[in-house]
Amino acid sequence: MNRLRTITLAGLMLLTGVATALASPAGIGRDQTIAAQPKANSIAELAARYDSSSCVGCHQQAHDEWAKSLHARSIFGTGRTAATFKTAIVNGAMEWPASGVKGFKDVKVEHLMGCAKCHLPQLSEATDQVAQEIVTTINTWQDALRKEDEATAGKAEKTLSSLNINCLVCHNRNAITHKWSEGYPKKDTVYGSKAGDHMDAKFTKLAKGQIMSESILCGQCHGQGPNFDQENPTQCATLYGSYLFAYVPEGGHKTCQECHMRESKLGHNMQSYRSKAMAEKAVEMHVETNAVYWRDNTTIKPKAAVRIELTNRAGHGIPDG
Amino acid sequence: MPIPQQMGRGDRMGRGPYEKSGMLEDTSLPPLRTVTTTHDIFFPVKVEEKDGKKISTITSDTLDLEVKLWYLPFGTMDDDPFLWKEFKKTVKISTTGK
Repeated sequence: MNRLRTITLAGLMLLTGVATALASPAGIGRDQTIAAQPKANSIAELAARYDSSSCVGCHQQAHDEWAKSLHARSIFGTGRTAATFKTAIVNGAMEWPASGVKGFKDVKVEHLMGCAKCHLPQLSEATDQVAQEIVTTINTWQDALRKEDEATAGKAEKTLSSLNINCLVCHNRNAITHKWSEGYPKKDTVYGSKAGDHMDAKFTKLAKGQIMSESILCGQCHGQGPNFDQENPTQCATLYGSYLFAYVPEGGHKTCQECHMRESKLGHNMQSYRSKAMAEKAVEMHVETNAVYWRDNTTIKPKAAVRIELTNRAGHGIPDG
Repeated sequence: MPIPQQMGRGDRMGRGPYEKSGMLEDTSLPPLRTVTTTHDIFFPVKVEEKDGKKISTITSDTLDLEVKLWYLPFGTMDDDPFLWKEFKKTVKISTTGK
Protein backbone atom coordinates (compact mmCIF):
# COMPACT_ATOMS: atom_id res chain seq x y z
CA MET A 1 0.00 0.00 0.00
CA ASN A 2 2.82 2.35 0.99
CA ARG A 3 4.67 1.47 -2.21
CA LEU A 4 1.56 2.26 -4.29
CA ARG A 5 1.20 5.64 -2.49
CA THR A 6 4.87 6.42 -3.17
CA ILE A 7 4.52 5.60 -6.86
CA THR A 8 1.34 7.68 -7.07
CA LEU A 9 3.04 10.63 -5.37
CA ALA A 10 6.07 10.32 -7.64
CA GLY A 11 3.74 10.23 -10.64
CA LEU A 12 1.93 13.33 -9.45
CA MET A 13 5.21 15.15 -8.87
CA LEU A 14 6.39 14.19 -12.36
CA LEU A 15 3.15 15.45 -13.90
CA THR A 16 3.41 18.69 -11.89
CA GLY A 17 6.99 19.10 -13.07
CA VAL A 18 5.97 18.58 -16.70
CA ALA A 19 3.07 21.02 -16.32
CA THR A 20 5.36 23.63 -14.75
CA ALA A 21 7.88 23.19 -17.53
CA LEU A 22 5.14 23.59 -20.14
CA ALA A 23 3.78 26.70 -18.41
CA SER A 24 7.14 28.46 -18.26
CA PRO A 25 7.83 30.38 -21.44
CA ALA A 26 10.96 29.36 -23.28
CA GLY A 27 13.72 31.87 -23.83
CA ILE A 28 16.84 32.63 -21.86
CA GLY A 29 17.08 36.23 -20.78
CA ARG A 30 13.37 36.95 -20.77
CA ASP A 31 13.76 37.72 -17.06
CA GLN A 32 16.12 40.62 -17.86
CA THR A 33 13.63 42.61 -19.90
CA ILE A 34 11.66 45.67 -18.81
CA ALA A 35 8.57 43.49 -19.02
CA ALA A 36 9.94 41.06 -16.41
CA GLN A 37 8.42 42.69 -13.37
CA PRO A 38 4.99 42.65 -11.78
CA LYS A 39 2.36 44.05 -14.11
CA ALA A 40 1.60 47.76 -13.95
CA ASN A 41 -1.58 48.57 -12.06
CA SER A 42 -2.30 52.03 -13.39
CA ILE A 43 -1.73 54.23 -16.42
CA ALA A 44 0.76 56.20 -14.34
CA GLU A 45 2.68 53.04 -13.44
CA LEU A 46 2.80 51.87 -17.03
CA ALA A 47 3.87 55.32 -18.23
CA ALA A 48 6.58 55.40 -15.56
CA ARG A 49 7.85 51.98 -16.61
CA TYR A 50 8.38 53.27 -20.14
CA ASP A 51 9.38 56.76 -19.08
CA SER A 52 11.91 58.09 -21.57
CA SER A 53 12.18 61.61 -20.16
CA SER A 54 15.80 60.98 -19.20
CA CYS A 55 16.63 60.68 -22.91
CA VAL A 56 15.64 64.28 -23.59
CA GLY A 57 18.66 65.88 -21.97
CA CYS A 58 21.08 64.48 -24.55
CA HIS A 59 18.69 63.75 -27.40
CA GLN A 60 16.67 66.94 -27.47
CA GLN A 61 16.38 67.10 -31.24
CA ALA A 62 15.20 63.51 -31.60
CA HIS A 63 12.71 64.11 -28.80
CA ASP A 64 11.37 67.30 -30.33
CA GLU A 65 10.97 65.61 -33.69
CA TRP A 66 9.23 62.63 -32.11
CA ALA A 67 6.90 64.90 -30.14
CA LYS A 68 5.45 66.16 -33.43
CA SER A 69 4.67 62.63 -34.63
CA LEU A 70 1.65 60.49 -33.94
CA HIS A 71 3.95 58.04 -32.16
CA ALA A 72 3.95 60.58 -29.31
CA ARG A 73 0.20 60.16 -28.84
CA SER A 74 -0.39 56.70 -30.16
CA ILE A 75 -3.56 55.89 -28.25
CA PHE A 76 -5.02 59.39 -28.36
CA GLY A 77 -3.96 60.26 -31.91
CA THR A 78 -5.93 63.18 -33.23
CA GLY A 79 -8.76 62.03 -30.98
CA ARG A 80 -9.98 59.56 -33.56
CA THR A 81 -7.67 56.84 -32.27
CA ALA A 82 -9.02 57.12 -28.73
CA ALA A 83 -12.56 57.14 -30.10
CA THR A 84 -11.81 54.01 -32.13
CA PHE A 85 -10.49 52.22 -29.03
CA LYS A 86 -13.97 52.78 -27.62
CA THR A 87 -15.78 51.89 -30.84
CA ALA A 88 -13.90 48.61 -30.90
CA ILE A 89 -15.48 47.86 -27.53
CA VAL A 90 -19.00 49.20 -28.18
CA ASN A 91 -19.43 48.03 -31.78
CA GLY A 92 -17.11 45.08 -31.44
CA ALA A 93 -16.61 43.27 -28.15
CA MET A 94 -19.99 44.24 -26.67
CA GLU A 95 -21.78 42.86 -29.74
CA TRP A 96 -19.84 39.63 -29.94
CA PRO A 97 -21.51 36.87 -27.92
CA ALA A 98 -18.35 35.11 -26.81
CA SER A 99 -16.15 38.10 -26.00
CA GLY A 100 -17.15 38.21 -22.35
CA VAL A 101 -17.88 41.93 -22.59
CA LYS A 102 -21.37 43.11 -21.80
CA GLY A 103 -20.41 46.50 -20.43
CA PHE A 104 -17.35 48.67 -19.97
CA LYS A 105 -16.65 47.07 -16.59
CA ASP A 106 -15.94 43.77 -18.35
CA VAL A 107 -13.15 45.16 -20.51
CA LYS A 108 -9.80 43.49 -19.91
CA VAL A 109 -6.36 43.99 -21.40
CA GLU A 110 -6.99 41.25 -23.95
CA HIS A 111 -10.00 43.14 -25.29
CA LEU A 112 -7.87 46.18 -25.97
CA MET A 113 -4.91 44.34 -27.48
CA GLY A 114 -6.51 44.35 -30.94
CA CYS A 115 -5.73 48.07 -30.95
CA ALA A 116 -2.95 48.07 -28.39
CA LYS A 117 -0.83 45.47 -30.14
CA CYS A 118 0.46 48.38 -32.16
CA HIS A 119 -0.89 51.53 -30.51
CA LEU A 120 0.41 50.49 -27.10
CA PRO A 121 2.21 47.13 -27.17
CA GLN A 122 3.42 47.59 -23.59
CA LEU A 123 -0.20 47.27 -22.44
CA SER A 124 0.43 43.53 -22.37
CA GLU A 125 2.54 44.31 -19.28
CA ALA A 126 -0.39 45.81 -17.40
CA THR A 127 -3.23 44.43 -15.35
CA ASP A 128 -6.87 44.63 -16.31
CA GLN A 129 -7.11 47.63 -13.97
CA VAL A 130 -5.17 49.60 -16.58
CA ALA A 131 -7.55 48.48 -19.31
CA GLN A 132 -10.38 49.73 -17.12
CA GLU A 133 -8.61 53.02 -16.51
CA ILE A 134 -8.04 53.55 -20.23
CA VAL A 135 -11.68 52.93 -21.08
CA THR A 136 -12.86 55.14 -18.21
CA THR A 137 -10.52 57.93 -19.29
CA ILE A 138 -11.75 57.76 -22.89
CA ASN A 139 -15.34 57.92 -21.63
CA THR A 140 -14.47 60.87 -19.39
CA TRP A 141 -12.81 62.64 -22.31
CA GLN A 142 -15.82 62.12 -24.59
CA ASP A 143 -18.31 63.18 -21.90
CA ALA A 144 -16.27 66.30 -21.19
CA LEU A 145 -16.22 67.18 -24.89
CA ARG A 146 -19.99 66.84 -25.05
CA LYS A 147 -20.35 69.10 -22.01
CA GLU A 148 -17.74 71.50 -23.43
CA ASP A 149 -15.71 71.01 -20.25
CA GLU A 150 -12.32 71.80 -21.72
CA ALA A 151 -10.39 71.39 -18.48
CA THR A 152 -11.60 67.83 -17.91
CA ALA A 153 -11.21 66.91 -21.58
CA GLY A 154 -7.69 68.31 -21.58
CA LYS A 155 -6.76 66.38 -18.46
CA ALA A 156 -8.09 63.13 -19.92
CA GLU A 157 -6.25 63.79 -23.18
CA LYS A 158 -3.04 64.37 -21.25
CA THR A 159 -3.51 61.10 -19.34
CA LEU A 160 -4.13 59.13 -22.53
CA SER A 161 -1.20 60.81 -24.26
CA SER A 162 1.11 59.78 -21.43
CA LEU A 163 0.99 56.32 -22.98
CA ASN A 164 2.71 56.23 -26.32
CA ILE A 165 5.31 54.75 -28.62
CA ASN A 166 8.40 56.44 -27.26
CA CYS A 167 12.19 55.92 -27.22
CA LEU A 168 11.99 52.79 -25.10
CA VAL A 169 9.41 51.03 -27.24
CA CYS A 170 11.50 51.21 -30.43
CA HIS A 171 14.98 51.34 -28.89
CA ASN A 172 14.38 48.65 -26.30
CA ARG A 173 11.14 46.70 -26.12
CA ASN A 174 10.60 46.19 -29.86
CA ALA A 175 14.26 46.55 -30.88
CA ILE A 176 14.76 42.80 -31.18
CA THR A 177 12.33 40.70 -33.18
CA HIS A 178 14.30 37.45 -33.13
CA LYS A 179 14.83 36.98 -29.41
CA TRP A 180 15.98 33.38 -29.45
CA SER A 181 18.75 34.12 -31.92
CA GLU A 182 19.83 37.54 -30.64
CA GLY A 183 18.70 37.51 -27.03
CA TYR A 184 15.99 39.42 -25.26
CA PRO A 185 16.18 43.23 -24.96
CA LYS A 186 17.87 43.99 -21.66
CA LYS A 187 16.30 46.44 -19.27
CA ASP A 188 19.55 48.44 -18.87
CA THR A 189 20.32 48.76 -22.59
CA VAL A 190 19.43 51.16 -25.35
CA TYR A 191 19.54 49.61 -28.82
CA GLY A 192 20.74 51.89 -31.56
CA SER A 193 23.51 52.25 -34.10
CA LYS A 194 26.48 51.47 -31.89
CA ALA A 195 27.60 49.59 -28.79
CA GLY A 196 29.29 50.91 -25.67
CA ASP A 197 28.58 52.71 -22.46
CA HIS A 198 25.60 55.03 -22.14
CA MET A 199 25.53 58.09 -19.89
CA ASP A 200 22.31 57.33 -18.08
CA ALA A 201 21.60 56.17 -14.55
CA LYS A 202 19.11 53.53 -15.59
CA PHE A 203 20.13 52.63 -19.14
CA THR A 204 23.85 52.27 -18.74
CA LYS A 205 24.64 50.36 -21.92
CA LEU A 206 24.36 50.81 -25.66
CA ALA A 207 24.02 47.89 -28.03
CA LYS A 208 23.86 47.81 -31.77
CA GLY A 209 20.31 46.91 -32.71
CA GLN A 210 20.38 44.58 -35.72
CA ILE A 211 17.07 45.85 -37.10
CA MET A 212 17.10 49.52 -36.14
CA SER A 213 17.64 50.53 -39.77
CA GLU A 214 15.56 47.74 -41.23
CA SER A 215 11.96 47.80 -42.36
CA ILE A 216 11.07 44.87 -40.13
CA LEU A 217 11.36 47.16 -37.11
CA CYS A 218 8.45 49.21 -38.42
CA GLY A 219 6.71 46.14 -39.84
CA GLN A 220 6.02 44.90 -36.31
CA CYS A 221 3.19 47.42 -36.18
CA HIS A 222 2.64 48.68 -39.71
CA GLY A 223 1.67 45.13 -40.44
CA GLN A 224 0.70 42.52 -42.94
CA GLY A 225 -3.01 42.10 -42.36
CA PRO A 226 -5.14 40.18 -39.86
CA ASN A 227 -3.43 39.46 -36.54
CA PHE A 228 -4.15 35.75 -36.36
CA ASP A 229 -2.35 35.47 -33.05
CA GLN A 230 -5.38 37.07 -31.43
CA GLU A 231 -8.58 35.38 -30.29
CA ASN A 232 -10.57 37.70 -32.57
CA PRO A 233 -8.26 38.91 -35.34
CA THR A 234 -8.16 42.58 -36.21
CA GLN A 235 -6.65 44.23 -39.24
CA CYS A 236 -5.58 47.80 -38.95
CA ALA A 237 -2.35 48.05 -40.88
CA THR A 238 -1.43 46.23 -44.09
CA LEU A 239 1.49 48.42 -45.09
CA TYR A 240 4.37 46.06 -44.39
CA GLY A 241 2.56 43.45 -46.47
CA SER A 242 2.40 45.91 -49.33
CA TYR A 243 6.10 46.66 -48.84
CA LEU A 244 7.02 42.95 -48.91
CA PHE A 245 4.72 41.72 -51.63
CA ALA A 246 4.30 44.71 -53.96
CA TYR A 247 7.18 47.16 -53.49
CA VAL A 248 10.03 44.66 -53.31
CA PRO A 249 8.82 42.58 -56.30
CA GLU A 250 8.83 45.82 -58.34
CA GLY A 251 12.53 46.19 -57.56
CA GLY A 252 12.19 48.45 -54.53
CA HIS A 253 14.98 48.18 -52.01
CA LYS A 254 14.74 51.18 -49.71
CA THR A 255 13.82 50.81 -46.07
CA CYS A 256 11.05 52.64 -44.22
CA GLN A 257 13.70 54.59 -42.33
CA GLU A 258 15.45 55.72 -45.52
CA CYS A 259 12.35 57.46 -46.86
CA HIS A 260 10.54 58.48 -43.68
CA MET A 261 13.51 59.53 -41.56
CA ARG A 262 16.62 60.24 -43.62
CA GLU A 263 15.59 61.39 -47.11
CA SER A 264 12.64 63.34 -45.74
CA LYS A 265 14.99 64.95 -43.21
CA LEU A 266 12.17 64.52 -40.70
CA GLY A 267 14.20 62.26 -38.44
CA HIS A 268 12.06 60.95 -35.60
CA ASN A 269 9.09 62.98 -36.76
CA MET A 270 7.85 60.16 -38.92
CA GLN A 271 5.07 61.40 -41.13
CA SER A 272 2.99 60.34 -44.08
CA TYR A 273 0.84 62.36 -46.49
CA ARG A 274 0.22 65.24 -44.08
CA SER A 275 3.86 66.18 -44.46
CA LYS A 276 4.34 68.26 -47.59
CA ALA A 277 7.78 66.73 -48.12
CA MET A 278 6.44 63.16 -47.92
CA ALA A 279 3.35 63.85 -50.06
CA GLU A 280 5.34 65.49 -52.84
CA LYS A 281 7.94 62.74 -52.84
CA ALA A 282 5.43 59.90 -52.81
CA VAL A 283 3.22 60.63 -55.79
CA GLU A 284 3.96 62.10 -59.19
CA MET A 285 1.10 63.33 -61.32
CA HIS A 286 1.57 64.03 -64.99
CA VAL A 287 -1.29 65.31 -67.10
CA GLU A 288 -1.44 65.64 -70.87
CA THR A 289 -4.32 67.35 -72.60
CA ASN A 290 -5.31 68.25 -76.11
CA ALA A 291 -8.51 69.53 -77.62
CA VAL A 292 -9.98 67.76 -80.64
CA TYR A 293 -13.16 67.65 -82.62
CA TRP A 294 -14.75 64.27 -82.35
CA ARG A 295 -17.57 63.36 -84.66
CA ASP A 296 -20.01 60.55 -84.91
CA ASN A 297 -22.40 59.94 -87.75
CA THR A 298 -24.37 63.10 -87.32
CA THR A 299 -22.81 65.37 -84.74
CA ILE A 300 -19.51 67.05 -84.10
CA LYS A 301 -18.46 67.20 -80.48
CA PRO A 302 -15.41 69.14 -79.42
CA LYS A 303 -13.66 67.61 -76.48
CA ALA A 304 -10.56 67.76 -74.38
CA ALA A 305 -8.74 64.48 -74.18
CA VAL A 306 -7.13 64.23 -70.75
CA ARG A 307 -4.50 61.63 -69.97
CA ILE A 308 -3.48 61.35 -66.32
CA GLU A 309 -0.47 59.40 -65.14
CA LEU A 310 -0.06 58.76 -61.42
CA THR A 311 3.18 57.22 -60.27
CA ASN A 312 3.60 55.97 -56.73
CA ARG A 313 7.22 56.36 -55.65
CA ALA A 314 6.58 55.15 -52.11
CA GLY A 315 7.60 51.79 -50.70
CA HIS A 316 3.98 50.67 -50.33
CA GLY A 317 0.57 51.17 -51.84
CA ILE A 318 -1.03 54.57 -51.43
CA PRO A 319 -3.10 54.83 -49.39
CA ASP A 320 -2.12 52.26 -46.82
CA GLY A 321 -1.26 52.35 -43.14
CA MET B 1 -7.52 52.14 -51.27
CA PRO B 2 -7.42 48.65 -49.83
CA ILE B 3 -11.10 47.83 -49.30
CA PRO B 4 -11.20 45.69 -46.15
CA GLN B 5 -13.46 42.68 -45.94
CA GLN B 6 -15.77 42.42 -42.95
CA MET B 7 -14.55 39.56 -40.74
CA GLY B 8 -12.73 38.03 -43.72
CA ARG B 9 -15.88 36.73 -45.37
CA GLY B 10 -18.60 37.72 -47.82
CA ASP B 11 -19.04 40.86 -49.85
CA ARG B 12 -19.31 43.55 -47.18
CA MET B 13 -16.70 46.12 -46.39
CA GLY B 14 -15.56 46.32 -42.79
CA ARG B 15 -15.18 49.72 -41.23
CA GLY B 16 -13.49 49.61 -37.84
CA PRO B 17 -10.22 47.70 -37.56
CA TYR B 18 -11.95 45.25 -35.22
CA GLU B 19 -14.07 43.97 -38.08
CA LYS B 20 -11.52 44.04 -40.87
CA SER B 21 -9.85 40.75 -41.72
CA GLY B 22 -9.47 40.52 -45.45
CA MET B 23 -9.55 42.53 -48.63
CA LEU B 24 -12.40 42.85 -51.13
CA GLU B 25 -10.48 44.90 -53.65
CA ASP B 26 -7.54 47.23 -53.77
CA THR B 27 -7.75 50.48 -55.69
CA SER B 28 -4.66 52.00 -54.14
CA LEU B 29 -1.78 53.21 -56.25
CA PRO B 30 0.64 50.27 -56.43
CA PRO B 31 4.24 51.04 -55.47
CA LEU B 32 6.72 51.87 -58.24
CA ARG B 33 4.06 51.64 -60.92
CA THR B 34 2.34 54.21 -63.08
CA VAL B 35 -1.43 54.12 -63.30
CA THR B 36 -2.83 55.80 -66.40
CA THR B 37 -6.38 56.95 -66.93
CA THR B 38 -7.87 58.82 -69.86
CA HIS B 39 -10.92 61.02 -69.79
CA ASP B 40 -12.94 62.82 -72.46
CA ILE B 41 -14.27 66.16 -71.30
CA PHE B 42 -16.67 67.62 -73.80
CA PHE B 43 -16.89 71.33 -74.52
CA PRO B 44 -20.31 72.77 -73.79
CA VAL B 45 -22.32 73.12 -76.95
CA LYS B 46 -25.59 74.72 -77.95
CA VAL B 47 -27.73 72.34 -80.03
CA GLU B 48 -30.20 73.88 -82.47
CA GLU B 49 -32.37 72.33 -85.11
CA LYS B 50 -32.10 73.81 -88.56
CA ASP B 51 -33.80 72.43 -91.66
CA GLY B 52 -34.57 69.23 -89.77
CA LYS B 53 -30.98 68.76 -88.74
CA LYS B 54 -29.41 69.16 -85.33
CA ILE B 55 -26.61 71.68 -85.42
CA SER B 56 -24.27 71.96 -82.46
CA THR B 57 -22.26 75.09 -81.87
CA ILE B 58 -19.64 75.51 -79.20
CA THR B 59 -20.42 78.20 -76.66
CA SER B 60 -16.75 78.79 -75.97
CA ASP B 61 -13.57 77.76 -77.74
CA THR B 62 -11.76 77.39 -74.44
CA LEU B 63 -12.24 74.92 -71.63
CA ASP B 64 -10.79 75.28 -68.14
CA LEU B 65 -9.60 71.91 -66.93
CA GLU B 66 -8.83 71.02 -63.35
CA VAL B 67 -7.46 67.65 -62.32
CA LYS B 68 -7.34 67.02 -58.58
CA LEU B 69 -6.03 63.99 -56.76
CA TRP B 70 -7.87 63.70 -53.46
CA TYR B 71 -7.24 61.33 -50.62
CA LEU B 72 -10.37 60.72 -48.58
CA PRO B 73 -9.21 59.03 -45.36
CA PHE B 74 -12.76 58.41 -44.23
CA GLY B 75 -14.30 57.82 -47.62
CA THR B 76 -16.15 61.10 -48.19
CA MET B 77 -15.39 64.70 -49.01
CA ASP B 78 -17.18 65.69 -45.79
CA ASP B 79 -14.55 64.24 -43.49
CA ASP B 80 -10.98 65.51 -43.56
CA PRO B 81 -10.30 65.34 -47.32
CA PHE B 82 -6.71 65.85 -48.42
CA LEU B 83 -5.83 67.47 -51.73
CA TRP B 84 -2.72 65.61 -52.81
CA LYS B 85 -2.09 66.99 -56.31
CA GLU B 86 -3.66 69.58 -58.53
CA PHE B 87 -3.36 70.45 -62.22
CA LYS B 88 -4.97 73.32 -64.08
CA LYS B 89 -4.93 74.18 -67.73
CA THR B 90 -7.08 75.99 -70.21
CA VAL B 91 -7.33 74.19 -73.52
CA LYS B 92 -8.40 75.84 -76.72
CA ILE B 93 -10.08 74.41 -79.77
CA SER B 94 -10.06 75.79 -83.29
CA THR B 95 -13.01 77.75 -84.58
CA THR B 96 -12.35 77.38 -88.28
CA GLY B 97 -12.80 74.40 -90.58
CA LYS B 98 -15.85 72.25 -90.97
